Amino acid sequence: MNNSWRFISTIAKKEIIEFVRDWRTLIALIVIPLLIFPALFIALPLLLQSEAAELDALELDVIWQGDINEELEMAFNESGLNVTFEAMPGGLNNLSDTGEEDDRLRTEGIEAIFRLSQNETEWRFSILYLSTSEASNEARNRILIDISAWESDVVNGTLVEAGLDPETTLDPVIWDGDVSSADAATKGEQAGLVLSMFIPMVIAIWTASSAIQPSIDMTAGERERGTLEALLCLPCSRMQLLAGKWLAVATITSAGVAMQIGGLLFAISFLASSSIIGMPTISLTSMLLLLSAVIIFAIMVVAFELALAMKAHSVKEAGSLLGPAILFIIFPALFTQVINLDGIESWWFAIPLVNILLALRELLLDRIIVEHIVVWLLSSIFYAGLAAWFAARQFKREDLVASIS
Amino acid sequence: MGGPLLTLTGVAKNFGEVEALTHVDLEINPGQVIGLVGGNGAGKTTLLRLMAGVMEPSNGSILFGTKPVSTMRAKLGVVPESTGLYSRLTAWENIRYHSRMYGISDEVAWNRVSHFANRLEITESLSRHTKGFSRGMRQKTALLRALAHGPDILLLDEPTAGLDVTSARTVRSLVGQLRDEGGTVIYSTHHLAEAQQVCDRIIIVHNGTIRADGSPSDLLEMTGDTTLENAYVSLTSDKARPRNEDKSKDGRLAKWWRRFLTGSTPELKEVGEDE
Repeated sequence: MNNSWRFISTIAKKEIIEFVRDWRTLIALIVIPLLIFPALFIALPLLLQSEAAELDALELDVIWQGDINEELEMAFNESGLNVTFEAMPGGLNNLSDTGEEDDRLRTEGIEAIFRLSQNETEWRFSILYLSTSEASNEARNRILIDISAWESDVVNGTLVEAGLDPETTLDPVIWDGDVSSADAATKGEQAGLVLSMFIPMVIAIWTASSAIQPSIDMTAGERERGTLEALLCLPCSRMQLLAGKWLAVATITSAGVAMQIGGLLFAISFLASSSIIGMPTISLTSMLLLLSAVIIFAIMVVAFELALAMKAHSVKEAGSLLGPAILFIIFPALFTQVINLDGIESWWFAIPLVNILLALRELLLDRIIVEHIVVWLLSSIFYAGLAAWFAARQFKREDLVASIS
Repeated sequence: MGGPLLTLTGVAKNFGEVEALTHVDLEINPGQVIGLVGGNGAGKTTLLRLMAGVMEPSNGSILFGTKPVSTMRAKLGVVPESTGLYSRLTAWENIRYHSRMYGISDEVAWNRVSHFANRLEITESLSRHTKGFSRGMRQKTALLRALAHGPDILLLDEPTAGLDVTSARTVRSLVGQLRDEGGTVIYSTHHLAEAQQVCDRIIIVHNGTIRADGSPSDLLEMTGDTTLENAYVSLTSDKARPRNEDKSKDGRLAKWWRRFLTGSTPELKEVGEDE
């Protein structure tokens, strides 16, 4: 085994052993990423579904003021609305005028007040409700659905009375066939589009944020604990030390990102089994390029974070430096999501961070555009080299030998 | 190698405008225990770090044999003042980590360490995590770590600072054993009595310069004093330079901001007897 690799691998191994022995950071950086997407895509919809079912089963109390329509009353009863009839209050400017009724909605356990008034030519209505109450919103929605169905019956009846066919009169321009079958994109491509909207952002933000804690611990943390001086006395060079620490942080970060992607794929396959989303179809070339893009991005981000953390004079200062630095990842990540990829100019692929995020988006859509690949690959390698150079400068500083504690 | 192990020629070290060491010429010969004695901020730790090859001199040269010491760090064993142990590793894992970096197999390192661990009465603690270790245990572990690869020179920065009497005695006894076995130890300390007890040769460092270099009897002869303490006082009679406590490399803006938010010290007024 050559000396350089022995130094680098020994340093990295020791850092990783120390890291995995701290169960709190292990949970934060490995277990949580694994669970976040299944929780988001599987548990959350299930929770929402059960909440919606619970709301559907509720019997809701509604006051009906003004004129009565039997058909509508029957529809209300079928919709689980318990109706109590009252006379229309006087002195209203219009039916939506809440008057004194808002107190009743807040205090009397009434979910909505339905007002109906008929004149010679039309019906007028309003629903008084409390938008901050879910039950009140539910009562309003059920009433609106019933009114819509009743209105449709009224319109159809009027058209039939006038000797017209309601279908051709109301919907004279019709889409022929199945709307979804007219899309030339396959299910897999559609899934790729959906994933391209958030996977690059997730990878970028998670890589940057999960590297912060180990970067600080292995640099400013070592200085503060007084372990760096002993380490610098060893026969390895500062560059080998940096490489070892970089390898450790990159391994930990990659494990976190891999767990997150694993969780995401599990959630997607779960959704695919329910036909909610298809499995993305990505060629092997795109997969390899995706992997390269993520690795180059990780080299750059981890080197940059190690350098900033090493530049700091304490763990506290390193935290203050690296915490806000994450914004430099979040903003480009959000910005990149709205850039239109069709006919995009090549120079976009030379902008730091944006280039990798755009590359990830294109590759998830399985678009292999050689010009773009050359630009993002070369520019990213250049930026990664720049970050490594900056890190090397920080690691070569002589004052590192003095511990801060 | 017949000549000196370590040769310092015209060594100076500056930190910005501060001269930490000025024109140091020294030769470290094998088989000696050498004490670096001086007050706080005298330059002992800087001199040790230069000898350990982790700092480069601003002027002059430090050679291990005929090569720059920074390229020969594998021949040195260093115990910094902070000991530098990882708390989530066991004592043996800490030692093994360093010995692997020196290219020593685990078996060889274990054999060497066992030999000294018995002497330091620490064998049973080698499998324990160092998190709960006392200062004495930490110091002993760091010593074992520095010895595991069989260094030609052992550099110890204040090895007995903060230790209880028994632990300090054990450490001193180990240093004596190393000398008896022909080892070379450079030992920085504040305590003259300790240096006198352990060292064959004492180097007195004051205000970044070497004030005296010789055996305890040489120092007494040099100053004409009867005790080493008096000799030390005579040799370091000029006022110790103020230590630059704020070593931070903050930028101007950061320094200005810190000063801006720092309240001024109240002016002291003389208080009359009746006040």
